[in-house]
Amino acid sequence: MARFADHPERRQDVIAGSILLLFAIGWTIAVWLTVPTGYSVGPRAFPFWLGVALAVLSALLLLKGLFGPYAAAAPDSDEEEGPSVSIRRRLWLVAVVCGLIVAFGWLMPKIGFVLATMVTVTVALVGPLGERRPLLVGTMAVAIAFGAWLAFGKILGAYMPSGEWISVF
Amino acid sequence: MDLLFAAAQSALAPAALLAVLAGSLLGVLFGAVPGLTFTVAMALVVPMSFSLDTAPAIGLLLGTYIGGMTGGSVSAILLGIPGTPSAAATVLDGYQLTRRGKASLALGTAVVASAFGGIVSLLIMVASVDTVAKFALRFGPAETFGLLIFGLSTICGLAQKSLLKGLIAGVLGVLIMTIGIDEMEGVLRLTFGTIVLQQGVSLLVAMIALFAVPHVIDAFVKHYAEERRPDAIADVRAELPSLRDLAKNFWLMLRCSLLGTGIGAIPGTGGPIAAFLAYAHARKSSKSPERFGRGAMGGVVAPEAANNAVTGGAMIPLLSLGIPGDPATAILLSGLLIHGLIPGPMLFISNPGEIYEIYIAIIVAYAAVVAIQLVGIRFFVQLLRVPAHLLAVGIIVMCAYGAFSIRNSVFDVISVAVLGALAYGLQRVRIPLTPIILGLVLGPSIEREFRTALILSEGDPSIFVASIPAAMFIGLAVLVVSTQVFRATRATVIARRNEDKARASVTPSE
Repeated sequence: MARFADHPERRQDVIAGSILLLFAIGWTIAVWLTVPTGYSVGPRAFPFWLGVALAVLSALLLLKGLFGPYAAAAPDSDEEEGPSVSIRRRLWLVAVVCGLIVAFGWLMPKIGFVLATMVTVTVALVGPLGERRPLLVGTMAVAIAFGAWLAFGKILGAYMPSGEWISVF
Repeated sequence: MDLLFAAAQSALAPAALLAVLAGSLLGVLFGAVPGLTFTVAMALVVPMSFSLDTAPAIGLLLGTYIGGMTGGSVSAILLGIPGTPSAAATVLDGYQLTRRGKASLALGTAVVASAFGGIVSLLIMVASVDTVAKFALRFGPAETFGLLIFGLSTICGLAQKSLLKGLIAGVLGVLIMTIGIDEMEGVLRLTFGTIVLQQGVSLLVAMIALFAVPHVIDAFVKHYAEERRPDAIADVRAELPSLRDLAKNFWLMLRCSLLGTGIGAIPGTGGPIAAFLAYAHARKSSKSPERFGRGAMGGVVAPEAANNAVTGGAMIPLLSLGIPGDPATAILLSGLLIHGLIPGPMLFISNPGEIYEIYIAIIVAYAAVVAIQLVGIRFFVQLLRVPAHLLAVGIIVMCAYGAFSIRNSVFDVISVAVLGALAYGLQRVRIPLTPIILGLVLGPSIEREFRTALILSEGDPSIFVASIPAAMFIGLAVLVVSTQVFRATRATVIARRNEDKARASVTPSE
């Protein structure tokens, strides 16, 4: 399988194809086992056949990745390959971003929107982004929290959780 | 004629004008923030409208509706995150234009296209409520299914690089939406015994996850790799499109407005499908289709004209038949009913004055929205001056909060995180995200219309080719998909042959 080395897209296609194929098979089996059939085209039909379609398509993708032809890497300037950052680092950043989102969602009902925002912004800036300027971090935290509170809470009148543990307003 | 004057008097009275202005501002703001949609805004506004007179009340609701539909383009263009599902197609070229430093041009053009679409649909509504209503009535589930399938088949046009991946993405989108309680028979599908999955995947959650999260992760990655993009910060002027540029797109705008009006008039279809169909049409009819997806202005003009034309189109079945086509028009309906305006054929006979007030309110709303956005452009583009990683942090907060506010549910925020991570993964293996959105938006409707059609015909599949529109749309969909498949297969075969030839010519010299 030395051909993997010659084209990054080939590797992507094999990975994508295999993961999606496994998912599609799992999905289809789950649907087959748990969803009952109904009248005419019932509740099982669409999810089942969609699963089958996904399985077929991802198998095709996998086959293409394993055996298909790939044109030589074209100097496509607008298709950015992105900065050269290791996979480990990327995964870590993904975890960080998602962790921040989840943390914010969890904190919000607990300590209220304003505080949760300030905490999240501070952590985001100091941690992964490595901002060390206290003035910038502080201003951003306050500004975003206040701005969002003003815009969402006051002007748009949307619901702003005020927190069970601590409440600022 | 004096009826028109009387209507104008009340519709242009200070109270009514203020109401329209307030509604438009609210609508634009809500539309611009991903996760907050104008449907939420309208729901917030309805109680306020109870205590107002008819003209201001209608003006407030209409302003919010129209402002919301237009506002979605702001974040779609500036941030690459659609504020409302209808603006998802605008992201494709709008965001690219921003990256090329043409943000304010894009915003200005989007607003003008939106107003154009809205006014054209208003004119059509005024002139032909009757005919369009009858046309809309002809669209039963089989015909609607055909239309939706045709819309989905435009995926093939959107997946420029790889048809296979585009199809995978579309199927994934439709697939995910089947999780939850089955709409028609009430059985649980793939909820794995949890209660929280019964609500299924929320479209807004998925939209935020698909657009915002990968964007934020990319920003973090770039910052980590310390890639500064000086060009992105440099050119942030607030320039407005010239009349000549706009005139170039006149016929495109007109065609897309007609498209949008028609689609708006069909209950159950709305902004997103109109926008995508318009985009696909613009690409096909363009002299340089390869520029689409890289910042072609037509790619902004088309969906924006279409999705605003939907507002006028949706009013047609609403006013003439009392049938709301989507949640937003349903709320409008409630507003009308509260004020004693009962939609239906009689409305035009018994309350012609109020009908005129509605028309005038729509015009005023568009004028207000255009003014708001044109003035606002200068402020909006300043947002681009903020360094990408700081902006990303702000987006995290905005989207997490937006997701929470949909159903006041932390589960939604967690879903955004999970789906967002998956979306990033898909993006890294070059699976296009736009067809997923199309699948998410159209999936439930497609299944519902398909099954309803078969129930109506008692299991007889010929209902799908029985009427002209149904047969036509399904035929078109099949045509589009098969030509693309044919082309893709042929390209693969040719590439394979070339590869073999190249290898054969290398070996002898070794």
